[in-house]
Amino acid sequence: MLRKRRPLQSKSEVVLRSIVVTFLVVYMLIFLIIPVIIAFAGSFHIWNPLNGTYKWTGLDNYIRMFQYPTFWLSMKNTVVFCAVVVFFRVLLGLALAYAITSRLIRHKTFFRTIFYMPTVTPLVAVAYVWKIMYNPQFGLVNNLFGFDINWLFSSDFALPAVMVMTIWKDFGYAVILFMSGLMSIPSDYYEASNIDGANAWQTFKYITLPLLKPTMVFVVITSLISYLQAYVPVMVMTKGGPGTSTFLSSYLVYDQAFVKYNFGYASAIAFFILIFTAVLTVFSFKLTGENS
Amino acid sequence: MKKQTLRAALYIVLAVVGIITVLPFVWMILSSFKTNEEISALHQTLLPQNFTLENYTSLQSNFNFLQYFGNSVMIAVIVTVLVVYISCLCGFVLSKYEFKGKNLIFGFVMMTMMIPWSVTIISRYTMFMKSGLLDSYLSLILPVMVSGFGIFMMKQDISSMPDELLEAARIDGANEFRIFHQIVLPMSKNSISAIAIFQFLWVWEDYLWPYLMIDSDKKQLLAVGLTMFNGRYSTDYGGLFAATVISIVPVIIVYTIFQKRFVAGVAAGSVKG
Repeated sequence: MLRKRRPLQSKSEVVLRSIVVTFLVVYMLIFLIIPVIIAFAGSFHIWNPLNGTYKWTGLDNYIRMFQYPTFWLSMKNTVVFCAVVVFFRVLLGLALAYAITSRLIRHKTFFRTIFYMPTVTPLVAVAYVWKIMYNPQFGLVNNLFGFDINWLFSSDFALPAVMVMTIWKDFGYAVILFMSGLMSIPSDYYEASNIDGANAWQTFKYITLPLLKPTMVFVVITSLISYLQAYVPVMVMTKGGPGTSTFLSSYLVYDQAFVKYNFGYASAIAFFILIFTAVLTVFSFKLTGENS
Repeated sequence: MKKQTLRAALYIVLAVVGIITVLPFVWMILSSFKTNEEISALHQTLLPQNFTLENYTSLQSNFNFLQYFGNSVMIAVIVTVLVVYISCLCGFVLSKYEFKGKNLIFGFVMMTMMIPWSVTIISRYTMFMKSGLLDSYLSLILPVMVSGFGIFMMKQDISSMPDELLEAARIDGANEFRIFHQIVLPMSKNSISAIAIFQFLWVWEDYLWPYLMIDSDKKQLLAVGLTMFNGRYSTDYGGLFAATVISIVPVIIVYTIFQKRFVAGVAAGSVKG
C-alpha cells in the first residue's frame, strides 16, 4: 500500500509527537489501566476502606453476587429500564424529527430548541423537580392528569415514573440526531420514489429507514451504554425504594461502594456490568449489521 | 385540503410534545416564587397567588448557594478549557501524524468512553485518598481533563482538514506548534464549541465524584449542594425550587443563546463517526 507521507519529519513534529504520546500513555496508565487492575484485584478481596480490611476471598464476591436476590432484581430492572427508555427515545426521536423536517412545518428551529432543552439541563436538579412533580398531594402529574397515585412510593409505579422522567429528559438528543440524519438524505431519492408511485409509508419504509440506519445504530448503542450506567435519577428520586424495587445495577454499585463501603463486592458487580455492556454492544452491532 | 389537515395534525402533535417538554421548567420557576403553604395547598394554581422572593433570600442565608454556584462555574471553566486544548492537541497528533502504536493509543482513548464509571471510581477514590489530594480541586480536575469523546471528535474533525494547507505553512517555515495554534485551532471552531458545551454540562451536573472528593463546605459544588440542601430541609419545597432554578436556568439561557452551535456540534460528532 502506498502511504501518503512526507519524507521529512521536522524537529518540532518529533517534539510535539513525543509530548502528546508520553502524556497520553502516562495518563491512560494512571487513570484507566491501573484503576481497572486495582478494581479487578479488589473484586477478589473483602475490601473496606473505612476499617482498612483487604483480605483475599477468592471468588466469594462473585458467588455472593449471583446468590443475592437484589442483584438479579437490579439486573432485571436495568434491562427493562434500558429497553423501554431506548425504545421510546428512538420512537419519539424519529417521529418528531420526521415531523419537524417535513416540508409542511415551518418554525423548525423553534421546535428543535424546545425539544432539546431538557437534554442540556443538569440531571440532579431535574430529578429533584420531577420528584416534587410526582408528589401525591400537590405534584403536577397527579393534578394535571387527575391520577391519584403515590408514584415514587409504590413498587409498581416507581420504576415507570423514573423511566418517564428519563425519556422526557433525553428524547431531544435523538430528535437532533435523526433530524441531521434525515436532512442528509438527498432529495433525489424522494423524487425518484415519488415518480415510481410509492406512498408516504412505502417511501419511509424502503428509503428513509434504511438510509437512517447509521444514525439508528449510533443512537441505540450510545443510549445503551449510558443507561446501563444510570444511577442519578434513582439516587435522587427513590433511593432504590420502595424496598429494593427501583435498584438499577449501577445504583447497586453506588449503594454497595459508597453507602455500605463493600468495595470488593461493589467491584465484582461493576465488572459484571462491564462485561454485560460489552456483550450487549457487540450484540447490537451484530444484530443491526445483519439486517442490511 | 388533505395537506392542510396533515399540517394541522403535525403542528398539534409538535405543540403538545413541546408543552409537555417545557411545562416542568415553567412549573419549577413559577413555584419558586410561591410560599411553602401555597406549594402544598390542596387547591393548586399555576401562577403564584402571593408572589414572594423569600425562597431565594432565605436560601442564601441558610445555605451558601452563591458560593457553590461560583465554585461550579470556576471548576467547569477550568476543566472545559483544559479538555478543549488537550483534545485538540491529541486529535491533531493522532490524525495528522503517522507513527508506531498510534492505533493502540487511540484504542485506549476510545476505551475510556466504553468503561463504566462503576469500574474505575472505586480505585480512583482510593488512589486519591492515598495521594492526599482529597478536598482539593486538583482531584476534580485531574481525572476528567482527558476526554475520550473530545479526542475522538477532534480527530474526526482535524483529519478532514486538507493536508496541503498544513504543508504550505510548513514550506513557509512554520513549525508544528505554530501550525497547531494558528491554523488547526482556529479552523476547528465548531467542534471546539460542541466539546466545550458538553464538557461544561458534564462538570456542572456531575454529582458523585465531587461528593466523594470535597469535604469542606466552602469548596463544595452546586450539584452536591442541592442534595445536601434536600437532605437537611426536605420539606422546604420552595427552597428546593429556588435551588433548582439557580442550577438550571443559567444553563437554559446559555443554551438558548448558543443553540445553533449546540445542535451543529451534536450532529457533527455523531454521524461522521
